[in-house]
Amino acid sequence: MGKLISTTLTRALLGLLIIVALGPILWTVLGAFKELRDIVTPVPKLIFEPTLDNFATILRNPTIRDGLLHSVIVVSASVLVGAVLGIPAAHTLARHARRWGDDVQFFVLSLRFMPPVAIAIPFIVIYLDLGIYDTLFGLILVYLITTISTVIWLAVPAFERVPHDIEEAAAMEGCGPAEVFWRFSLPLAAPSLFGALVFTFVLVWNELLLALTLAAQNATLPVVAASITSLGKEVPWGVINAATVLLVLPPLVFIGLLMGLLNTMVRSGPK
Amino acid sequence: MAHIHCTDIVKSYGAHPVISGLNLDIPNHEFVVFLGPSGCGKSTMLRMIAGLEEVSGGRIEIGGTDVTDLPPGERGVAMVFQSYALYPHMSVADNITFGLRRQGVSKAEIAPRLKQVAEVLGLEQFLDRRPKNLSGGQQQRVAMARAMIKTPKVFLFDEPLSNLDAKLREKLRTEIRRMHLKLKTTTIFVTHDQLEAMTIADRIVLMRDGMIEQMGTPDEIFERPASRFVADFIGTPAMNFVTATLEAGLIARSGSIKLQLSEAEFPSLNPGQEVELGLRPARMDLCAPGSANALTGEVVLVENMGAEGQVITEVDGAEISFVTQGFRDLSIGDTVHFTIRPEHIHVFDPKTGRSLRKD
Repeated sequence: MGKLISTTLTRALLGLLIIVALGPILWTVLGAFKELRDIVTPVPKLIFEPTLDNFATILRNPTIRDGLLHSVIVVSASVLVGAVLGIPAAHTLARHARRWGDDVQFFVLSLRFMPPVAIAIPFIVIYLDLGIYDTLFGLILVYLITTISTVIWLAVPAFERVPHDIEEAAAMEGCGPAEVFWRFSLPLAAPSLFGALVFTFVLVWNELLLALTLAAQNATLPVVAASITSLGKEVPWGVINAATVLLVLPPLVFIGLLMGLLNTMVRSGPK
Repeated sequence: MAHIHCTDIVKSYGAHPVISGLNLDIPNHEFVVFLGPSGCGKSTMLRMIAGLEEVSGGRIEIGGTDVTDLPPGERGVAMVFQSYALYPHMSVADNITFGLRRQGVSKAEIAPRLKQVAEVLGLEQFLDRRPKNLSGGQQQRVAMARAMIKTPKVFLFDEPLSNLDAKLREKLRTEIRRMHLKLKTTTIFVTHDQLEAMTIADRIVLMRDGMIEQMGTPDEIFERPASRFVADFIGTPAMNFVTATLEAGLIARSGSIKLQLSEAEFPSLNPGQEVELGLRPARMDLCAPGSANALTGEVVLVENMGAEGQVITEVDGAEISFVTQGFRDLSIGDTVHFTIRPEHIHVFDPKTGRSLRKD
């Protein structure tokens, strides 16, 4: 009996937490499919006629469309370059840097300690001087600090988990260091590395402050989405909701993938 | 032609020397075991021969070629690791043939060789599986197949059986020995298990603190240990040690113990000299009271080992054990007499620990 009560209480608490966590998201998603008059009713409507007008509006709006395009370009370029530069660096740190390895790793991590606002103002001046203010290239450049350091920070433990013996066995078969990395370390660490890349993607996809300060016309989606909220009294709630859905969709999909990956990793245990 | 020649090998990590000035010659076709307690440098030595570890000084030659500065893949050696080190993202067949495929050997040539090694090691039905779906013993066979298929000049085994259970270890040990008798490839095998070393080796290199303590056939190591350390390390149950004083006529006395030593083996001993006697439990047995070289003690414990038993006795307050088939008639508290032949008594210098046997 006591067990039944405690299970019921646990379930109730869990349900409450889920409602608290998912409620706003659900409301936003519902709002994205509502017409404005369905949104601004005093009594919330759960049954309504869904419309795709809001999505049509934002996809027809050149500012939002450009913002989406810029986000995709900036984020994929910075994550890609971050991976290409960060993953080999992480392998080197995990395997070959005996003396300075820890210091370098701490330095890389320390890049993440720094609040972006601390560098935002100086960067405006530097970027204006260099002529890369308000360019996608400039944004990619500053995001690389985040992506490279995050990729390194997450990939070092992934490579450390690759058994040393396997790399040595490959070396015994005549593989040079580059071949060992490419044919053994990389495939074996791939699942963890994928997680690291997804995490990095979400991090820069959601980035607002640097994009807000270093770009004007060529802003990314978070900046555009934020600007819609300051349109005055005639707030187009439906459009805002649709823009938000569009914004959170890629991270949500990736987080879903990440969770699935984490679960399979936990289930199969360390190899 | 693959004899191994190591000259003045030095290895140090920072200021900490692990191996200092080691010289070693391994003739072609020989099965050599590096034996020693953990931290004695035996694995380091193997890894330096493999090329996985750089030497701090000295030269290594394999088959007449100086390989000291060559990468592992160009030394013509193959290694089997303690952890098997199979490639988890490849099938068993791909694991075995990886090295050959990498060298660009044609498929037509690889197939029969794969079939042959798989047959020798009984892996035919596992070739399509992934390593993680195999048992430890099967995985180690795959690792051996991977080493064999390259027909290397030298096989290196780094404690390959340590992760297996006792029965499987014995079985694979025999298989490795058989394989060597057939292939005759020069082999170095590292282990800390003295029984494994004794059963498998042509020659044992017994190491301690980065130095070779003794090098010789299993018989030499067992019957003529060069030092107290070797005598203590080899043989189960472990050797008994008794400090004694020599008397005229090459008699060693310690309390009630009075033992005649062999004149032929120890001609240089003098009366009055302090020595340490080494008595192998397996070389002693029950005897009638008053027999020559008899020891008398009180039974403290009897350990049944099946065909024979180890009897631990107390002689003058110190424990001395011996092995006998007649252990079943003994019980705790009994007074027993047991004896050892003079030629089976080892004598060591108590200060240096070196054997006082004539060379």
